[in-house]
Amino acid sequence: MSVSLVEVSLAAFVILAAIGTAIFRDVMAAIVVFAAYSLGMAVLYTLMLAPDVAMTEAAIGAGVTTILLIVTIAKTNRSSAEELIEVIHWPAVVVAGTFTAVVAWTVFEFPTIGSDEAIAWSNPSVTQHYLTYTYVETGVTNAVTAVLAAYRGFDTFGEAVVVFAVGVAVLVVLDREVFT
Amino acid sequence: MIEAVADRLLYFVVAVLLGIGLYMTVASPNLVKKVIGVNLMQTAVFLLFVTLAFVEGGSAPVVSQEAVAGRHASPLPHVIVLTAIVVGVAVTALALVLIIRLYVGFESLREDVIQEVRRND
Amino acid sequence: MSESERVRQEYTQSPIILTTARILAPFVLTYGLFITFHGADSPGGGFQGGVIIATTVYLLAFTFGVEPTSTWVGHRSMAILAAGGVIIFTGIGFATMALGGNFLEYAEFVAILDLPENEVVKWGMEAVEIGGIAAIIAGVVMALVFLTAGGYGPERGEEP
Repeated sequence: MSVSLVEVSLAAFVILAAIGTAIFRDVMAAIVVFAAYSLGMAVLYTLMLAPDVAMTEAAIGAGVTTILLIVTIAKTNRSSAEELIEVIHWPAVVVAGTFTAVVAWTVFEFPTIGSDEAIAWSNPSVTQHYLTYTYVETGVTNAVTAVLAAYRGFDTFGEAVVVFAVGVAVLVVLDREVFT
Repeated sequence: MIEAVADRLLYFVVAVLLGIGLYMTVASPNLVKKVIGVNLMQTAVFLLFVTLAFVEGGSAPVVSQEAVAGRHASPLPHVIVLTAIVVGVAVTALALVLIIRLYVGFESLREDVIQEVRRND
Repeated sequence: MSESERVRQEYTQSPIILTTARILAPFVLTYGLFITFHGADSPGGGFQGGVIIATTVYLLAFTFGVEPTSTWVGHRSMAILAAGGVIIFTGIGFATMALGGNFLEYAEFVAILDLPENEVVKWGMEAVEIGGIAAIIAGVVMALVFLTAGGYGPERGEEP
């Protein structure tokens, strides 16, 4: 597939925002840049034909996570920042760079993005089954909802209960589980 | 070579983002920034999944009412990412709450200071 | 005085934020409900809708202060939303088992509802999405900000 200009500029934006998150010394600045990063990511998901995921990322990554981080900073302390940029930790750069190089090296084994040999598409008994029979079997046209609640309902049940369990765990950690 | 890279551009973005996230978790002494780093790695993995589901010339996975296989992005990775994002924010919230609890005890968010205080006790 | 304390004391009710929140909040809430209820035929669903509904509460909390909003929403109603969602989800799962199917095998509801099979599955999914997932997510995500802002210890705020 040929890459479009939109895709390249979004990729550049996302990487720059990630670098900004890593090197800003002020935690508040890092949080704000991270919110921008999440929004860029949401647009990238839309470009990759995943509107459901993009919506969730925009609401949760850019909204809820940012607010929770800000509230945490307000409850603790915001590290004083004379310099704008953090001192770069070179051993960690070497480790992360090696990791990136190894991961990037494996990428050439992947089929190209969006081709018919792409991993999800080349397995006709899964993806094509969902796309073909979703309406016949579940009566909805949004295949994501169908897989979420019907085909893989038990999985989703687990996920929802995990969120509930986190709510309970937060109460316990903060020692506020007493109910009036 | 350039062709091969351009065809897999987003996979390389994923690799770079994983590296940046790893750098943040390893190098930053601030616990909140470590949590942000873990979040960054998480979104990189989500991008990998969403990119795997992409199909060229397709459309979003909202299918027609007839039993014909149109050309749509695969819904299965989308579902996995969708639930993973929600669970991810829940786990992030738990980590942040643990950080608040640590701050009550140690009056610091820096990993090295906390270790210093623990050694002196 | 640490910087965070100074920030907290400078908290004022800005007319710009007040007006924006007054105008935006109903629309955000409606949008969240739309996303929740219209998840079957357009992008959306319980997860996204629940979060957007909870975001309305975040907007109010940042405009009118965390404590008043927390009291206004009520700890009890958030707990009921979250726990009720789990109960509804589990209940639907066990109801299909009681009718002789597997866990969450909605097609078993054909025995009760007079509808074609894929319609039955659709209504089962809607019930799980709206009554289960959206309620759990909205309840827990709403509670998270109040709990985090309340801080550690039972004496610092009201009970959850």
